[in-house]
Amino acid sequence: MSVGAPLAAARAQRLLRPTIKVAGLVAALVLWLVLGAVGALPPDAFPTLPATARAIGTELGGVDGWRSIGETLEGWALGFVLGAGCAIVVGVLIGLSRFAFRSSIPVIEFMKTIPVIAILPIAVLIFGGTLKMEYTLVAFGVFWPLTIQVVYGVRSIDPVARDTASVLGVRGLRRFGLIVLPSAAPFVATGLRIAAAVALILAVIAELIGGAAGLGRDILVAEDSGQSALPIVYALIVITGAVGILITLVMTQAERRVLRWHERFRPVERGIA
Amino acid sequence: MAIDVRARLTARRRAARRRSSGGGALRLLGRGLNGVWLFALLVALWWVLSAHSRSPYFPPLHTILNELAKVWFFRAARVDLVPSMIHLAIGYVAAGAIGIALGALFWRVRVARESLSPLVYFLYVLPAPVLLPAFILLFGIGAFMKVAIIGFSALWPTLLNAIDGMRGVDPVKLDTARTLGLSPRRTLWSVVLPGAAPQIAAGLRNSLQVAILLMVVSEMVASTAGIGYFILNAQQTFESVDMWTGIIVLGVVGSILNLMFVLIERVALRWYYGERALQQA
Repeated sequence: MSVGAPLAAARAQRLLRPTIKVAGLVAALVLWLVLGAVGALPPDAFPTLPATARAIGTELGGVDGWRSIGETLEGWALGFVLGAGCAIVVGVLIGLSRFAFRSSIPVIEFMKTIPVIAILPIAVLIFGGTLKMEYTLVAFGVFWPLTIQVVYGVRSIDPVARDTASVLGVRGLRRFGLIVLPSAAPFVATGLRIAAAVALILAVIAELIGGAAGLGRDILVAEDSGQSALPIVYALIVITGAVGILITLVMTQAERRVLRWHERFRPVERGIA
Repeated sequence: MAIDVRARLTARRRAARRRSSGGGALRLLGRGLNGVWLFALLVALWWVLSAHSRSPYFPPLHTILNELAKVWFFRAARVDLVPSMIHLAIGYVAAGAIGIALGALFWRVRVARESLSPLVYFLYVLPAPVLLPAFILLFGIGAFMKVAIIGFSALWPTLLNAIDGMRGVDPVKLDTARTLGLSPRRTLWSVVLPGAAPQIAAGLRNSLQVAILLMVVSEMVASTAGIGYFILNAQQTFESVDMWTGIIVLGVVGSILNLMFVLIERVALRWYYGERALQQA
């Protein structure tokens, strides 16, 4: 086999791959359309594709849909920033001290395993079904796992780099910026990416169960308003999924851009592997 | 360089000896204390600070614990905890088995993997709780709906990690299997699945958390029993002591389940950690 053959095959594959993906998606939609047309879908539980598409159009065509998207994103963003900010500060402080690390890790690991949903009733009791309740819940859910990531990131400093810094007399803030931050950054970035997804789930739960305004509450309201609103339930589910994709894409791109220097994102190594 | 490596090796060996020898008991005790004192302090603080609390939100800890012993050791554990755990177990085990099986299928049938990947990705990214209203419409509010939503939501993390892990299997090992003339099924069992096991385990752990979440959420939205219902009902009827007992029970159950997972993972993947330690030495 010539050297060029695998390359050509790889190029063909690269062209083919998106086509197959689109084909798969189209096939799924056609299946939905056909099942609806022949009446195989339960009319009181699963709407047809055209009805759902129309409902998506109505939601995105009016003010209400966009307001709900905005409310969900607001709860998500406030909680995410609050939780992540606290986690980074606390995580760095814990990570820098051996004693603090050993003492607090078991507590944080334990807190991490408590299902965040358990906190929801307390938050609702104190704040009611408000935006404040929503972002408190989100922040709480973001804080524990991210703190652990930050702590391990700070502690993962390359001993050679650390010793070199000590020998060269790099101390204080400069040491933090030159040694601690670069070594913790990949851990923190991974933690942030995961936390962003968790935050959206919690924001939606706060709306679905806690009654805060947003997509989650709209879905429940639509479900309660009878069969005519059935396509709206599914339209809102699709829209929430789209919001999830948007958040994931933004976080992945941001991570790749900020950590371009890191070996995980160096294109050369990818090419070999 | 050579000296450095040798010095590191001796240090590692010494550390290993320290870990295995009985003389390290005192050190072990010290480490144990290290892990526990803050925990004890926080509980003690909660106990003392809440002792005379009149706040309707934060009842005294001793009242909560008294109530917990009364409520949960008799009635509620049977009525509210056992059904929840059964739903969780069925949904989670089904999700794990289907996730790995589908992953293996996608490994074999590449077109299926490529064509379904956008759909799988969408369902993975979609915040699972929003599916709850749809599941209620489809399956009612019985036990089947709960098992279904737990299983459906927990499927995607395992499936995606299984696909990724199987794709990441060392190509040299696959070539070796082909050269040895192993059948696809043999290759799957003795090369692909073990190679992907660490990542599948990561997926299963992720799935467990999703499953616990959906167990509670499904009971909060549509149920008259279960731990989620117990907690939300207590909150809505302003029985804040009961609510706190439910929260503590849920927290402890969640922790135990996660701990059990870590222990099983450690035993099941012992060969993997051994291999990795060898490579790093």
